[in-house]
This record gives sequence, structure tokens and C-alpha cells, in this order.
Amino acid sequence: MKKVTIIGSGNVGASSALYISEKRLADVVLIDVVEGLAHGRALDSVEAAPIRRYDTRITGTTDFSAMADSDVIVVTAGKPRTPGMSRDDLLQVNAKIMISVSKEIARYAPNAILVIVSNPLDVMCYTALKVTGFALKRVVGMAGVLDSTRFRYFLADKLGVSVADTCALVLGGHGDSMVPLPRYATVCGVPIPELLPKDTIDKLIERTRKGGAEIVSYLKTGSAFWAPAAAAAEMVECVIRDKMRILPCSAYLRGEYGIEGLFVGIPVKLGKNGVEEIIELALSTEETEALQNSAAGVKAVIEKLEDMQLL
Amino acid sequence: MEKVTIIGAGNVGTAAAFYLAEKRVADIMLIDVEEGRSRGKALDLMEAAPIRGYDVQVEGSDDFKDMTGSKVVVIAAGIVRKPEMMRQDLLEHNIKIVDDIIEKVKEFAPKSILINLTEPVDTLTYYVIKKWGFDEKRVMGVSGALDSSRLREFIAQELDVSSVDTTAIIIGGHHDYMVIPPRYARVEGIPITELLPPERVEKLIDRTRKAGSEIVDSLKTGSASNAPGAAVADMVEAIVRDSKRIVCTPAFLNGEYGHKDICLGVPVLLSKKGIEKVIELDLTLAEKEAFDKSAAVVKNTIRLLDLETEKKEG
Repeated sequence: MKKVTIIGSGNVGASSALYISEKRLADVVLIDVVEGLAHGRALDSVEAAPIRRYDTRITGTTDFSAMADSDVIVVTAGKPRTPGMSRDDLLQVNAKIMISVSKEIARYAPNAILVIVSNPLDVMCYTALKVTGFALKRVVGMAGVLDSTRFRYFLADKLGVSVADTCALVLGGHGDSMVPLPRYATVCGVPIPELLPKDTIDKLIERTRKGGAEIVSYLKTGSAFWAPAAAAAEMVECVIRDKMRILPCSAYLRGEYGIEGLFVGIPVKLGKNGVEEIIELALSTEETEALQNSAAGVKAVIEKLEDMQLL
Repeated sequence: MEKVTIIGAGNVGTAAAFYLAEKRVADIMLIDVEEGRSRGKALDLMEAAPIRGYDVQVEGSDDFKDMTGSKVVVIAAGIVRKPEMMRQDLLEHNIKIVDDIIEKVKEFAPKSILINLTEPVDTLTYYVIKKWGFDEKRVMGVSGALDSSRLREFIAQELDVSSVDTTAIIIGGHHDYMVIPPRYARVEGIPITELLPPERVEKLIDRTRKAGSEIVDSLKTGSASNAPGAAVADMVEAIVRDSKRIVCTPAFLNGEYGHKDICLGVPVLLSKKGIEKVIELDLTLAEKEAFDKSAAVVKNTIRLLDLETEKKEG
């Protein structure tokens, strides 16, 4: 049986463990620095196993050495923004967490594939890559799969069709710098511009852009975790089962799309080695510019971290 | 639990029953005129249930009245092709079988939705509607759902990607002139024309056109059953679960795509009512011409059908 470690046992981490178990992909180790949290979440999940019929193991611990020999490590650790906290304060806190987690990963699981979920995503991927010194293709970030699943749901809901027939590629960074490509969004292979007027598509895109905030506005004291966890589990499955699926993920670019030395959301082929291939789409000038703007945003935040002498 | 009847316990009917049981979609009644065949296959499937963990009922019978109460009836009876045969060559033999079956469906499950797999599929689907007066929204067949699954697998093999991420739309008649617009064949939304040079796209399309024959030629004494069974199980699931999936199927056209009074493969929205809507794609001129050419082949077979009927009446 393969082994997956999830670092961070908040809602996203615990839900990822659940989806991975339901898919019977691997034994799961949940790690959290908060005493008892990972252990409790793991025990609760494994107590559902007799009813749900998965016989993979789920364990929880505060001990980072428990990640040894993991095939995949999912990093969900990070703090949410609390009242009175600036974005820069939050960035500093989360970068420090990512740096310390990355050091533990380099020490205990030097051969694992990393799936990064912590935000700001593209920057956290870069941090993990730098600190672990891993090969480029072994670090991949979860953003596009989540944005795409949201877009697909909105599309299915609008058209009254099954979500199973929808497909979407959302590139770029999470949120404002997201680059949705309607001509690659399809229902059973039919591009949505053939099915919906432009203003409706624009509305769906806008809703997708703000998909995370919409959930926060309802929950008030929390944010989305089911869809993010489902997205992370889908990526883990690709690696564990060497599925070679094409999914929009954050990956390190070396000149593709005219972007050098940064993580940006683009379609990749995911397999047992991590990012097996970066797919270069024939983008229009406008789309390439949007992607490059997204990359410039990522770069600015990295420079901020360098100024703080964290990187 | 809904009930689905499969008529014909040959390889296709049995594969369909297997996929439906695995999907836990409905209780299944497998009917075959050959006594014992359907009972044996059904029992074999039930005996695998404890291992596979499905608890739907699979029963076999040689009595057509056991289809009573079915939501969907799948017609998987008739003979299949041998090497060198065309699907049209099966018409004369299979039309009699379809007549016998539909007469029983009319008696025991008149409100069911019919999915026909018996070849030639477009012509016989049309025949069921015209000859037996079935509501055209409640009669469909298996063509595009199967052909597109084949093309998707070929694309996945060619590009070394997961077939899960592929989509394809195949329309027109279920014969060598099926219409395969490459711009609708995609990997995670990316048209294959952006991923492969034209000559490799053409090869995939050509293999898809002849994919049924490729299996027949390999097997020599049989034809494909798993992919057709999987295709029909997907359609049955969409109907039973009212999941509004879009599937290509032979549907009766009333002017859509410029054709009337014919059954041809087109994308439809499937729901508990059957064909909820025919989806009209915005075809290019070249695609439209290919569609018309494909329709002409089906029309020719339908003409034979009229002769057949006249002979019978005479």
C-alpha cells in the first residue's frame, strides 16, 4: 500500500484524508503541530471505515518523522487571516510555517512528491521548492483544479446538464489573477461559447473568480474545504496511480508561456513522477499577457519575502 | 429500486447487465427466448454480488411478460456481423426479431423507454418508431456513445494521457460514414487538433470508423460486447437517475440538422423522460456535408425497410 502524508489537520487536511481513504488510494498519515488534533481527526475517519468499507489506515501524530517513506505529501498547513492582521503579516507567518515544514520534508521524506495547498499558493510552491531543493517536477500546487471544478459546477447548474459532462481549464493564479479560457471550457466537448451568450459566460467567470469569497461570506467563520480537498485528492490519485491526467496545476516554468523561474497555473500531465509534462496551449496574445500578469504578481510577493530575508 | 429489462442474453446483453449491476442502477431482468441462457447468466451475476458488493436483483427469464413494470427496456437481440459483413447486411434477419420483441414490449411495458442495440441500429430504431408507433422521445439506440468511447481510448493511447480526460462527439449514421468532427474531440477541453498533427488525427478517425470491424476481424466468431455494454449502461443510468447527461444516440429528427423522418446520431440530453432535447451543434459547411452524406446511407437502408414491409403486407 502506498503512503500519503498530509501536513496540517484543519478542515482541508482532514477532508483530503477522507477523500483519499474513500478512493482507497493509500494509507494516510495526518500531521499537525497542535497536540491531539491530527490524532482525533484520524481516529474519527478510521471509525467510519467499517461502514464505508475502506481498509486503508489513517493515523494522526505531531511527530514529523512519521512522514518517512511517503509517496506523496500534501501540505495544507497555514494560518487564516485574523482581524487586525495585514496581508504582509499573514504572508510572513505562513512563509515561516512553509519553511519549517519544508525542512522537515527534506529530512524525512526526500523522495516524496509534494502537493502544495497552502496559500498564497504559487509563492508557497516556490518556497517549498527552494527549501527542499527537490527536483522541479516533484513540487506541484493545487489551484486550477479547484477553480475548474467550481467553474464546471456553475456551468452545469446554468445549463441544467450533468456536471459529469463539463470540462474547464482555469489557468493563472488563484482569485483575481485567474485566467479562465472559455473556448477550452466544454460540455461534452462543445465549447461553451457555442452554448451560452458572452455576458452569461462573463458572469460565470466572475462568480468563479470570487468562488472562495462566496463560501466565506456564507460561512462567516470559515472557508471552503470540501472542494479544495476533493481537488487535492484528485491530484494525489494521479500521482499514486500514475494516471497521466491533464489537470491545471501550479508548476515551475522555465520559459514556457514566456515565464521564467516561477510557479504559475498551467495544464500539466500528472503521473508518478509528479509533473510529467507541461502542456503549452496556443494562447492568444491577450491570454498570454493575462498569464504573464498573473506571474508578475507572484514575483512581487516572492520579492517581498526576499526583502524580509525569509528566502 | 427501478427495474430495467434487457432482451437478449448474448454477450452484449450480459455485458450490459454486468455494468448495470456494478453501477447499482436498477434491478435487472434478463430475457432470452433460449431457455436457461438468461437464467444461467443472471444467476452467475448474482453469485458474484457478495464479492462485488452490489445488492440489486438480477433475474433471468424466457417469458416476455416478466418485463412488466420496467422503466427502461434494452434490446440486445439479433445476430451480429461476421468478418466481411456490413451492418446493413443484418437487416433482413434482425427486423423479424425486433418485430417479435416490440410486439411484446407494446403488450407488457408500453410506457418504458427503449434503447436499441440491434443492428443496423439507426434503421431499426427508426423502424420501431414508425412501424410500432412508439413515442419518438422514448426510443433511442447505441451508436455515438460507443463510437466516441472508442475514439477517446484511441486518443488516450496516442497521446499517453488518461482516457478520463478525453471527450468526443460522433454524429450521423453508425456506419463507415459516421461524422467525427476533430474540433469536438478534446483532452481536458483542448482540441486534439492542437495536440496532434493532421495526419495522426486522420488516422485516429479512420480507426474509429472501422473499430467495430477491427474487433470482428480479431475475434472471427463474434463482435464487440464490453464497450457496447458499457455504453448502454451509461445511457440507462442517465435515464434512471435523471442525470441530464449529453450522449450521442440515434434520435428521430424533425428538421434538426436539416433532416426529417429519419433516425440519425446526434447529441441529446437524457433524462427520466428519455430524449429531453436534441442538441443542435453549429456545424461547419464541411461537417454539414459529411452529415448529409452519412444520412444518405441510412436513407438507403430505410428504403430497403419499406420494401420489406411491403413484402410482408403483400
